[in-house]
Amino acid sequence: MTLQTCYENMGANYSDAIGRLRSERLLQKFVLKFLDDGSYDLLCRSLESGETEEAFRAAHTIKGMCQNLSFTVLAASSSALTEALRAGQTETDALFAKVKEDYENTVNAIRAFQAEI
Amino acid sequence: MQKDQKEKILIVDDSEMNRSILVDMLCDDYDLMEAEDGVEAVSILSKHAVELSLVLLDIVMPKMNGFGVLDAMNQNRWIEDVPVIIISAENSSDQVERAYELGATDFIARPFDALIVQRRVVNTLLLYAKQKRLISMVEEQVYEKERQSDLMIDILSHIMEFRNGESGLHILHVRNLTDMLLSRLMAKTDKYGLTMADISLISTASALHDIGKMAIDEKILNKPSRLTKEEFEIMKTHSAIGADMLAKLPVHQQERLVKVAYEICRWHHERYDGKGYPDGLKGDDIPISAQVVALADVYDALTSERVYKPPFSHEEAVRMIVNGECGAFNPFLLECMEENVDRLRTARDEGIVEEVRQRKLRSISEETLRGEGGASRRTLQLLERERMRNSFFASLTETIQFEYTDSPSMITLSARGAKKLGLDEIIMDPRHNEKIFEVLDRNVWNEVGRRLRASTPENPEVRFDCALRYDGMTRWHRIVTRALWSEDTEPKFEGALGIVMDIHDTHMKLQELEQKAARDPLTGLINRASARERMELRMSDSSGGHFALAEIDIDDFKVINDVYGHMFGDKVLQQLARRMKNSVRSTDICCRAGGEEFFIFLEYNTDIEKTIDRIFHNLCFTCDRHAVSVSMGVALGETTGLSYESLYYAADAALYAAKRGGKHQYRFYNPSLHNLLDAVPEKKAGREKEDKQ
Repeated sequence: MTLQTCYENMGANYSDAIGRLRSERLLQKFVLKFLDDGSYDLLCRSLESGETEEAFRAAHTIKGMCQNLSFTVLAASSSALTEALRAGQTETDALFAKVKEDYENTVNAIRAFQAEI
Repeated sequence: MQKDQKEKILIVDDSEMNRSILVDMLCDDYDLMEAEDGVEAVSILSKHAVELSLVLLDIVMPKMNGFGVLDAMNQNRWIEDVPVIIISAENSSDQVERAYELGATDFIARPFDALIVQRRVVNTLLLYAKQKRLISMVEEQVYEKERQSDLMIDILSHIMEFRNGESGLHILHVRNLTDMLLSRLMAKTDKYGLTMADISLISTASALHDIGKMAIDEKILNKPSRLTKEEFEIMKTHSAIGADMLAKLPVHQQERLVKVAYEICRWHHERYDGKGYPDGLKGDDIPISAQVVALADVYDALTSERVYKPPFSHEEAVRMIVNGECGAFNPFLLECMEENVDRLRTARDEGIVEEVRQRKLRSISEETLRGEGGASRRTLQLLERERMRNSFFASLTETIQFEYTDSPSMITLSARGAKKLGLDEIIMDPRHNEKIFEVLDRNVWNEVGRRLRASTPENPEVRFDCALRYDGMTRWHRIVTRALWSEDTEPKFEGALGIVMDIHDTHMKLQELEQKAARDPLTGLINRASARERMELRMSDSSGGHFALAEIDIDDFKVINDVYGHMFGDKVLQQLARRMKNSVRSTDICCRAGGEEFFIFLEYNTDIEKTIDRIFHNLCFTCDRHAVSVSMGVALGETTGLSYESLYYAADAALYAAKRGGKHQYRFYNPSLHNLLDAVPEKKAGREKEDKQ
């Protein structure tokens, strides 16, 4: 599996990412690194314990990373959640459910890619 | 900046991945530092602001966000030398605008393009490098130019002094005094519209005030006796002649230095009341430059030796000038002189001229470059060196050093101090930091803070003893700190710096002595041996403190006992002891040395004579309608040296003098009393006996 296929599997925009970062090697490194990032765990934990501010920062970080890597789908859903948390909304379950789904798709695609290299 | 040295960039982002993307983009060309939140960024900036060439800053971060970092950079003026590029997914226009308002140079929205980041970083660095080069170039030029012209003036004025038979330092003194008086005047009033550049110009031009003396006959100039009326008239022409020389300069007529020098030469012998020469100008018709130089000239003439007179003391000179014995001056200037009496004395004599000049130059080139005061690169470098020096010394001592700034509220601890106490080196918002209050009680913090704020710029020092908890121990410490006040007319509290010393061992020893101290059952006072032990401990532990010993003897106590009985005598002793304790602080030492002999050992820092007078009057009282009086001899550690023997011997001599003077009085020891005791055989014998004990 190529990195490009991996991007296609998660519905992300490969050409945009490679256009900006300009190196397949670097892009691959960062994509794999995404698996190690703790922001998603932090998001889950802080939503559960009701720490909205912490949740906002975690969502914001996920959004930023996804934008950098052109993970378009997850970027969109995490961005929606970020704005809701920023506005202080408490009913975020639906938005979070979407983030969860997109995150799992993304991570699964990356893991499948990782397994082959 | 050296070419082979990579420029240093600080990357601030809470996401490790975002940081490493940037690191990968930039690591080939730059030295990179990373911070994962705003607090860490400020901490790095406070140590490395001078070396940093650029900050890449995220907005949304825990602990302190990007705007907080920009705030701190503004407060510390780092923003003037270190450009900031914001990299953030925050792209709402008010956020962007706020970042620009706070001084950000550029804004890159996420997702970013590697080429764009690299290009913008390069552009920003180039722009700033150019600006920094220009600043340092202008500074060097201004500095070099001023240095050379100052040098020329120094040489010429020395030649002139040589001919005038003056000390060779007169012109230097006048320049220093002029500088000091003008600085004070500028702080006091804006009536004369003075700037730092004016002060420098007038001080420099002051060197030329007596050039007219070149045209005066040497026989008159150096005549060792009083001048005749005719000779004095000739002497008086020097001010107009000097001005004329300048007016006839074929070139440079438009230079401000020449104009100011003209004013000074012509009018430095005018008087504020209009009775001076050559033009009889009055009040502020006399240019302020000439008024100030006139005062400086008179003061230095008075305090210097001349062929016709010995030097007057500093105090005498100030008194004569204020009393109008040496001319009439602007009352504003007299105030400036009186307010600076101490600095005046040192300003005249110390070789501070070079330091003053450098300070001035720096501020002038800053004024020129920025239009307002600010820290130039040179100043920052000096500060950086200062910081290095401090941290080096701090690393060598066990003493904990700290610095507190009020806004933003922040404490900086020396590295070793922080480690010892188990605290961070930099603590933002310390009032809400729980860890600090695990080490020290909150009421200690509040009390020291209250005392610092209640201090004054003249008297900013605060000392406080307290217990600190760390490493599972509680130990006594002494906080010695001084408040930092702003230079404004209404001084503002800006923070404090200080040290924390471990005084645990001395403190415990004192407590132990306190418990062991043998007390006199009648009065409850400690005995001589205990008092001596404690005095010696206090003196060995003092950091330059002032100590006094007062020896007290009840007048005619034998008569009191004989006439009214021992019961009454005991009552007198008890009351006196109580009065002694009430007259001094609990840290001072009161002792019954034996019989009707007592002493008090006290530390003081203000007017000891007043204190002694107060104590003396407290100790003369009425007991059951019988007047009781004491005689008292006082010795000061300054006069006698800090040892028990010398203090006691001197206090004894003074006490003897007080008794011989008719009792019911106190005397301070002075060396003329020295032989008094030795002349009295029984005293001498008693003393020798005591010495042997």
